[in-house]
Amino acid sequence: MTPVALTLAILLVPVVMSGPSAPAPQAAPANPIGTAVLGFKERVAGYVKVHNDAESKVPKLTQTNDPAQVTGRGAALGAMIKSLRPAAKEGDVFGAAFRRVLEREVRKDFQQRPAADRKALIHELPANMKVAVNMTYPTELPLATFPARLLSKLPDLPPELEYRIVGYHIVLRDVTANIVVDVARNIVPTIPS
Amino acid sequence: MKTASLPRSASIPAFLLALLLGGAAPLTSSSSTLAAQAAARATAKVGPNAAAATIAPKAGKSVRFAVIGDTGTGGSAQYEVGERLNESRTVFPFEFVLMLGDNIYGGERPQDFIKKFERPYKVLLDLKIPFYASLGNHDDPNQRFYKPFNMGGQRFYTFEKDGVRFFALDSNYMDQTQQDWIEKELSTSKNTWKIAYFHHPLYSSGARHGSEADLRTVLEPLFLKHGVSVVFSGHEHFYERLKPQKGITYFTSGGGAKLREGNIRVGSAMTAKGFDTDRSYMLIEIADKTMHFQTLSRTGTLVDSGSVQAVTPPAPPPSSDAAVR
Repeated sequence: MTPVALTLAILLVPVVMSGPSAPAPQAAPANPIGTAVLGFKERVAGYVKVHNDAESKVPKLTQTNDPAQVTGRGAALGAMIKSLRPAAKEGDVFGAAFRRVLEREVRKDFQQRPAADRKALIHELPANMKVAVNMTYPTELPLATFPARLLSKLPDLPPELEYRIVGYHIVLRDVTANIVVDVARNIVPTIPS
Repeated sequence: MKTASLPRSASIPAFLLALLLGGAAPLTSSSSTLAAQAAARATAKVGPNAAAATIAPKAGKSVRFAVIGDTGTGGSAQYEVGERLNESRTVFPFEFVLMLGDNIYGGERPQDFIKKFERPYKVLLDLKIPFYASLGNHDDPNQRFYKPFNMGGQRFYTFEKDGVRFFALDSNYMDQTQQDWIEKELSTSKNTWKIAYFHHPLYSSGARHGSEADLRTVLEPLFLKHGVSVVFSGHEHFYERLKPQKGITYFTSGGGAKLREGNIRVGSAMTAKGFDTDRSYMLIEIADKTMHFQTLSRTGTLVDSGSVQAVTPPAPPPSSDAAVR
């Protein structure tokens, strides 16, 4: 789906949902992609509320000469967020419907890339890294660069969150707390042989 | 393309090496600098000294800075490059340092910031030489809060030094927010010199990573539209000066500590100069519309030098009124 199509899909949903006559209860959604994206955005907004709540409960981080404060504050924020969503599980933010949208976009993007480009991208990925919701992203491992063109096809995220590729998975990562917020498994294609 | 192997300064008298390599810095330096160098040599340990190969500034008043990339290993090579920077500064008094990302490899515990940044560059930090960091793929974005990196708490930011405008970008995550920011900042900048720096090279002859074509489709049109003259990147652990690409000069300077030996593809049509046999760093001087660059190695030899002219940004399109007339 192109950015234009994605935008149209999102824009059309409120029109459909707020129309003068309510759709029949059994009718299929007129715009399932837009609905999936909207649902995802609502769940993202819900996570940001948790993030902000956690922010208010740990010391504010400003610029500092003390590296212990830099690393300590990130860890404290991460711990606070984990404590506020202890039962968080995979799919809570992505959701099943949006996961399908995401998978289609990722696979389409990879199909359009030259083999060398795909290999270069995969080459950067942390090897054999295990991911789980609420885990701290290990600072010993690199954060694989997220392909700019693919990023432009996905819904924008607030500054608290980012998409990342880990192995064959897409994760939502809390930028400041450095924790994995959600995981969409096995949607990044393997390297072509 | 590889450069010819250069002799190590340890085996050749410093002044002779400087003459051989065309870096006649000591002969043109001020008397006080000469005295300082002489004193330094008198007490120096046996080994390389980059002062001999460093080219002195060409203009009385200019913007002078150093460029280092992929530095944060905490290993001996990083410390050696740090020493060479100190030595070069006795001849070429740079006022600040650009960091091209991968500032802290591996763990990012408090002691890592000390071992992989504060100690290797202690002399410069003690002299209050500011470092302006960009984020690499090995960097936790929380580094933006570490004051010695001067990022102002931002993943991407801009600053100006005596009329030269710098744009530090986060090439790990080029989302729409950052693209909008770049477009706005570039379009409102009236500076003759606009210099962008970030971790991933848009053009590279590296066999391991190569050009970041994806990122290039996003950034290059903005750079061309708004008159960016020079781009510095790291990521590849070597030095490469690219032939100008659509009028923009690209440097890869990612050999500040790590080395990917022999990784520049032999015969690459893009390479103007390559150096992948040792670590390296750059020294830059900008005066009026000319930028002079020099690249030195961990062993204190000059591996590249030259100059670049500022590009003239394309004229804005005529207004609709003008078009009607």
